Amino acid sequence: MKDQVAIVGASTTGFVAKNSARSQASFAAEASIDVIKKCGLTRDDIDGLCGSWPSAPVLQSVLGIPEITWSGNPVIPLVNHIATAAAAVYGGLCEVALVYHGAYRAAWNSGSALRDPFRRIATPGLTDPQPGPETMSGAVGYTGWASRYMYQYGVTREDLGLVAINSRSNAVGNSGAAMRDPLSMDDYLSAQMIREPLCLYDMDPAVDGADAFIVTTAERARDLALPPVLINAAVLGQVRHNEEDQTVSLRQNGQQVVIETLKAKSDFWIDDIDVYFPYDGFTPITLNWIDNAGWCKPGEAGAFLRQHWDEKSQRVLIDNRIPVNPHGGSLSEGATQASGHIREAVHQLQGLAGDRQVTDARRALITAGGFFFNSQGLTLHRM
Amino acid sequence: MTVDVSDDELVQRFPGEPITHDNAEHYRGRLRRELLLNRCGECGRWHAPPKPICPDCWSTRVSAEPVRGDGVIFMAMFLHRGPAAPGVDYRVPYPVVTVELVEQEGLRFTSTVIGADNDAIRIGTPVKLAWTERAGAPLPVFELRDQP
Repeated sequence: MKDQVAIVGASTTGFVAKNSARSQASFAAEASIDVIKKCGLTRDDIDGLCGSWPSAPVLQSVLGIPEITWSGNPVIPLVNHIATAAAAVYGGLCEVALVYHGAYRAAWNSGSALRDPFRRIATPGLTDPQPGPETMSGAVGYTGWASRYMYQYGVTREDLGLVAINSRSNAVGNSGAAMRDPLSMDDYLSAQMIREPLCLYDMDPAVDGADAFIVTTAERARDLALPPVLINAAVLGQVRHNEEDQTVSLRQNGQQVVIETLKAKSDFWIDDIDVYFPYDGFTPITLNWIDNAGWCKPGEAGAFLRQHWDEKSQRVLIDNRIPVNPHGGSLSEGATQASGHIREAVHQLQGLAGDRQVTDARRALITAGGFFFNSQGLTLHRM
Repeated sequence: MTVDVSDDELVQRFPGEPITHDNAEHYRGRLRRELLLNRCGECGRWHAPPKPICPDCWSTRVSAEPVRGDGVIFMAMFLHRGPAAPGVDYRVPYPVVTVELVEQEGLRFTSTVIGADNDAIRIGTPVKLAWTERAGAPLPVFELRDQP
C-alpha cells in the first residue's frame, strides 16, 4: 500500500471548550462539506465513509451523499480511521473516502455539559450505575503510568510541564485552538491537581468541533485541487498485556510495536522528518513517545525538550528545525483524538499551514494514541 | 463459608460493576471477603483481569482461586475528583494504587489504600490485603504492611 493511497485534503471547524448550541453531526457536516469542496469534488464523488461519531449512516443522510459502496466505524484515535479508509481504497472497496471526526463534549466530560439536556440525551449510559474509583481503566490509567514514569526515571512534574508549555506556545497563533493563552512553568506548577501527579494542564480539554479528510488513490489524487500527501506507512501497534494496570512496562507496550514497524516499513525516519506529532491527550504520553521513538534514551524526554528548547518562542524546535505539534496538539486544540495532529500534518505537507508553515516541509511523523490498546503511527510525505 | 448468591443478587450487590460470566466468581468471593483471581488448572498461570480461557495454554480449565493479597505498590495516584461513590470524599485526595502481587510477576490488582497518610503511599511500598465496605458490599483494599 506504500505511497499508493493519498490524503488529498483536510478541513476543520476549529474547536471550542464550551457547550456550543450545535450537534456533533453539525460539526462533522461542516468540516466534511469544506473538505469536499476544497478538493474540487462533489458529494456524488464520495463512495466511502469512515468515522466514529456520528455514525456513517447518520452522516451520509445529513450530507445527502447518494450512494456509497463502503463504510467503516473504527475505534479512536484517528490513525485507525485513516489506515482503514486507505486499506479500503487500496483494496478497491471504494475510491474516494470521506474520513471524519466529530469531537463533542459528552455529559460525563464536565459539569456544564451535564447540565445541557441535549447532551445528557446524547450520552449513552449516563444514568446507569457507575463503578467506584478504585480502577486504572480508561483515562485514569495514564495518571498511574505517569507516577511510574516519575518513579522509574527519577524525574519531576516539570518534565510534564514542558509538554504543556510547548503546546500552548504553539497554539497562540491557531485560531481553531480552544486554549490559546500562553502558559508559564509557574502557571503549570501552581495549577489545580485533578489526578495527582497530573493537573489541569496535563489533560486535553473536552471540546466541540470536527475535522474531515479525503482519502483516495494516488492516481486519482493527481487530478484533484490540492497537493496530495502520500501515506508511506501506518500501524496500529498492540501487545498482549494491554489492560491499563497489567501493561508490562513503559518499554513493553504498543508504542514499541509502532516504532519498530514504522522503522521497518517507512522510507524515512526521525532524522529525515520536518515536523513531528506525538500524541498529547495526556502529557506523559508525549514524553513516552519521545523516549520510545528514539529521540533520546528512556526517561530523558524532559532533558531532550530542555536541550531543544527555544527560549524566545517558549517551545521545542528539535535541532532548531523540527517543531513538535505546531498546531498546539490536543492539549490546546482540545480532545480531537489525533484528528488535529493528522490534519495539521496534511496542511504542513501541502504548504497550507499559514503562519505555522514549516519551510518546505516534506515529511511528517505522527505517533498517535497512548500505550495500552491504542498506540498508532503514521508516516506521511508530499508527493 | 459457602454463599449461594444468584446472578441477579450479585448484580444488585455490586451496582455499576461490569460483572460477566468470566468474573462473577471474583465478585462472589468478595462477599466472603476472599480475593479471587483466575488461575489455569493445567499450567498454573494466574490471569488478571479474569479471562474465559487460559491465555497461555488455551486450557478451558480456569477457575477463580484465592490470592494472599500481599504485594508492592507499582503505581499510585491521588484523585482530587472522581466518580461519586458512597464513603469517598475527594476533599482528601483519594489514593488509587496498582499492586503487583507476590503470586506471579506482572500479576496486578488495583484498589485503594486505607489507614495511611497519602505521603506514605508510595511506589515500592509493601502492602497487604484488607477489607472495607462499599454500600454494604465488601471491597478488597490494601494497607501498608509496615505501619509506622
